[in-house]
Amino acid sequence: MLDVRGINVAYGPLTAVRNLSLSVADGAIVSLIGSNGAGKTTTMKAIIGLKPVSGGEIYFDGERIDGRSAPQRVGRGIALSPEGRRVFPEMSVLDNLLVGGYSQRDKAHQKKTLDQIYGYFPRLVERRSQMAGSLSGGEQQMVAIGRALMARPRLLLLDEPSLGLAPIIVDEIARIIVEINRDIGMSIILVEQNAKLALNLCNEAIVLETGAVALSGKGKDLLASDYVRRAYLGI
Amino acid sequence: MSMEIILVQTIVNGLMVGMIYVLMAIGFTMVFGIMRIVNFAHGEFYMAGAFLFAILYGSNNLPFFISVLLAVGATALLGLLMERIVFRKFRGNELNGMIASVGVALILQNSALLLWGSSARTVPPVISGVLSVGGIVFPWSRLVVIIGAIVAVVSLNLLIGHTRIGRAMRAVAQDAEIAQVQGIRVDVIFPVAFVLGVSLAAFAGVLMAPVLSVSPFIGLAPTLKAFVIVVIGGLGSVPGAVAGGLLIGLIESFAGTFVSASLSEILQFLVVIAVVLLRPQGLLGRKEREA
Repeated sequence: MLDVRGINVAYGPLTAVRNLSLSVADGAIVSLIGSNGAGKTTTMKAIIGLKPVSGGEIYFDGERIDGRSAPQRVGRGIALSPEGRRVFPEMSVLDNLLVGGYSQRDKAHQKKTLDQIYGYFPRLVERRSQMAGSLSGGEQQMVAIGRALMARPRLLLLDEPSLGLAPIIVDEIARIIVEINRDIGMSIILVEQNAKLALNLCNEAIVLETGAVALSGKGKDLLASDYVRRAYLGI
Repeated sequence: MSMEIILVQTIVNGLMVGMIYVLMAIGFTMVFGIMRIVNFAHGEFYMAGAFLFAILYGSNNLPFFISVLLAVGATALLGLLMERIVFRKFRGNELNGMIASVGVALILQNSALLLWGSSARTVPPVISGVLSVGGIVFPWSRLVVIIGAIVAVVSLNLLIGHTRIGRAMRAVAQDAEIAQVQGIRVDVIFPVAFVLGVSLAAFAGVLMAPVLSVSPFIGLAPTLKAFVIVVIGGLGSVPGAVAGGLLIGLIESFAGTFVSASLSEILQFLVVIAVVLLRPQGLLGRKEREA
């Protein structure tokens, strides 16, 4: 469904991503791992349209989208839960979720999606009229993922969902990612520094180093690879 | 006159002026919150609204509601035009945007001077008579200003708080980049917010036209007041604009009635300096997020 072909992304004179290709099949979870500054977040921003590519092509459902704006790509079925969560701090949890459904004009549909999200994250029900900025990190992460789901995407980009969270919350979020993928058949790209988590959850994984693909393969195989174990799992 | 009557009238005057300032400050702070532009031309839209109303209602005797609609509508169009030609290019660029807005203010003011001349016009009162409650009389001409302004503020609050476009505006004000990823087109939200802010200013001008006189130079004072109020209330904060506007209106009215108008100016700026020193983010503002 998503086909990224040899993209380059630069910040001024600095190249952040070089000749990167990846593809995501229907219903697959693809993990992007790598250290800080390897280009993971930049790749996500290029896919959603927050960062223009200076070369290469991006196709979604066979249609070329790299010239489209971010709102247009959201309308076509891609959503992002950004790094650092970036909830709207002075809006209620419910308003954050409703903003996520901005592109969904059908009220009944929106209500159904909202109930679905409350089903995944029951804690958000109690918190719905609270300002999102006053929530704990784990709850904010739930808002960020829920907000992305409100757009009813077919491809969900999750950027560092485990960052800064307590292990028990990380487990909960991981469980829900798997659930969402299984229930709805939603394709997911998961960016993680927590390589163990990412490799366990995914079908396929890509290791990024200094803006280029260093290694790719099945999650299970990479978990067993000596190189990955030494460089990313600290074993 | 008894003390009681003077007191009540001072409060009514303070509320009237205060609500006008609230309307001015809300538009000013909205444009800043969403576009990051300090719009020193804001008061010129107040002037345009007042002038158009004076011409339509005062000189051509059009019905009141039609005059209000046409005056605010035409000013909104002027705002849309200015956003397209000038402000759009400066959004997010606070210093240059501010300088450009001063230029727009001078252009609008002098255009009004060319078109309509420098002499002040008076507008006949929209309503006459008084409301008498327990022996205290309230002139309807002033109550109408207060009521009209309250209706505008409440409607705006409903729009921002409870509609799809209102949520989108708040999202853009809080994090424009992430708002785009929700499918919100910021290039649509910017002109909507600007035109809304300008329309509030025009409506304030319409309300005040029958109370004060109208000339090309009446825009400057409300701009400065909006600026002062927004500094007190917190840049980008709508509740802050309401609190600050009423505070400044009441200070002006009380100092003007019981001491002197110049003391009122001194008091206002003492409040501003105190706020800037003690609470730089404003009374109800939030601290600038660190990037």
